[in-house]
Amino acid sequence: MDMRMSRRAVLGTGAGLVLAPFVPAARAAETGLLEKRESLYNNIFIFGDADSVSMTFGQNKRYYTESSMKLSNPGALTVEYTRYMTMGVAYPPKLERIAEIGLGGGRTVSYLTASLPDTGILAIELDKDVVDLAKKYFKFKETARLRTVISDGRAFLLKDNETWDVILIDAYRGPFVPFHLLTKEFYALVKTRLNPGGVVVQNIEPTTMLFDAATATLKSAFPSVDLYDGGGNIVAVGYDGPQLPQAELLARAGKVQDRYKLRYDLRQMAGERRIFSRPIGKILTDDFAPVETMRAIAKNNEKWKEQTEAPR
Amino acid sequence: MHSYSRGFLLLGLACVLGFSLMGFEMLGSRYLYPYFGGGINTWASLIATVLVALMLGYLLGGALVDRTMSPRLCGVLLTIAGVYLFSIPLWVDPLFGWMLNSVGDGMAGIILAATILLLLPLTLMSTFTPFAVRLLLTSVTVGGRLVGFVYGVSTIGNVLGTLVTTFVLVPSFGSRALTMVFAAVTIAAGIAMTGADRFLRGATS
Repeated sequence: MDMRMSRRAVLGTGAGLVLAPFVPAARAAETGLLEKRESLYNNIFIFGDADSVSMTFGQNKRYYTESSMKLSNPGALTVEYTRYMTMGVAYPPKLERIAEIGLGGGRTVSYLTASLPDTGILAIELDKDVVDLAKKYFKFKETARLRTVISDGRAFLLKDNETWDVILIDAYRGPFVPFHLLTKEFYALVKTRLNPGGVVVQNIEPTTMLFDAATATLKSAFPSVDLYDGGGNIVAVGYDGPQLPQAELLARAGKVQDRYKLRYDLRQMAGERRIFSRPIGKILTDDFAPVETMRAIAKNNEKWKEQTEAPR
Repeated sequence: MHSYSRGFLLLGLACVLGFSLMGFEMLGSRYLYPYFGGGINTWASLIATVLVALMLGYLLGGALVDRTMSPRLCGVLLTIAGVYLFSIPLWVDPLFGWMLNSVGDGMAGIILAATILLLLPLTLMSTFTPFAVRLLLTSVTVGGRLVGFVYGVSTIGNVLGTLVTTFVLVPSFGSRALTMVFAAVTIAAGIAMTGADRFLRGATS
């Protein structure tokens, strides 16, 4: 009974079968490569030119963009869905503490730190090298108000009892979200770490069956789920209690917008809200979460709208 | 004729136990990820624990079979392994939750968790291989081929257990249910060894 070699191969093959997620096809190999780093968890490639830098995770000769920044305009959120991730700050009654699982280049948390001068933000990132490279290439700076912790997101939330007004989840490893960050038990844990009125915001990629399962699972833990089209990726906002009336959300978004003068207008984004009302996917649990298989089944990326309705 | 059927029985069990052993290693990852994360460190802990279990099982099984020549003893060990596997879904979540808070999710925590999950049942399961070799060994002149054959068949079981579990079973069934199936298979193998005690002793006594 002796079998050592194939389990790594098994993992590798699983990953390789699947097509690109939220990235455009493979880019011209190696042009503008600034740094390549093989970390404990990822093969990280930093690409750049005179005015831009991007962090990608390489897998199976494809590069999955995790983050990008324009050097001449570092405060801008160049990846469209990350602007919609900030929509989470429109919902809660207060904005004292925000946590993000999955740092990438740290653009979203840097933007929120700069925009919300009274808010403390914690980024939970598994891969220490990602944090190092964010600091080196993406002007990411830790301050008293913007801290990082190196940990698996779920393990951190389990160990740490602190609660948050907004929890942002953007934990992709190349094309995959690890299964334990997509289950009902995980979202139930997230819910216990939210302050009253707090929201969870998750980036979900809509082109595979996994989208249906992920949204249904989120909905199983949070009675209300709103979806925003982030230009390719979908941003889901989940919260406890009944669905906010649209007028109420617009009023809250307007209040936060007027107070902080955010670069990406919350009022405008709130106007694009869709209510997630028809979950059709299988609810994932710690016991049963075949994320690799579901990811392999393609889905029309416009189909997600059929599961939603206009807010009232 | 008698020795052929004994060979079939023991090689069949070697294959089935090899399947369960690696199948359960793959399931081990499903139990560890939620508490300790899903990185290379989790896999290293699982693989190292399985290899330690194989080593201990081979040593223990070899020592016991030379001393006792008892298929029944091997059957008892396999049954204990199966009962342990069967019990895992009952205690794993509270235990790992508690460990995460008391030991943490560093190297010590992950290795300890993998050890608690896998070491005892997989050690007992891997005592089977030396038992099978010794019970089938009637002449030293075929010893090399016999050892090669038993390990070869067992390893085919390992390969199938790894691939079928990952690509067919985990996408189709819950990991708690699969754990119980592997446990039931291991207990059945233990009962077969116990029940066939006299039959398996036959030719060598």
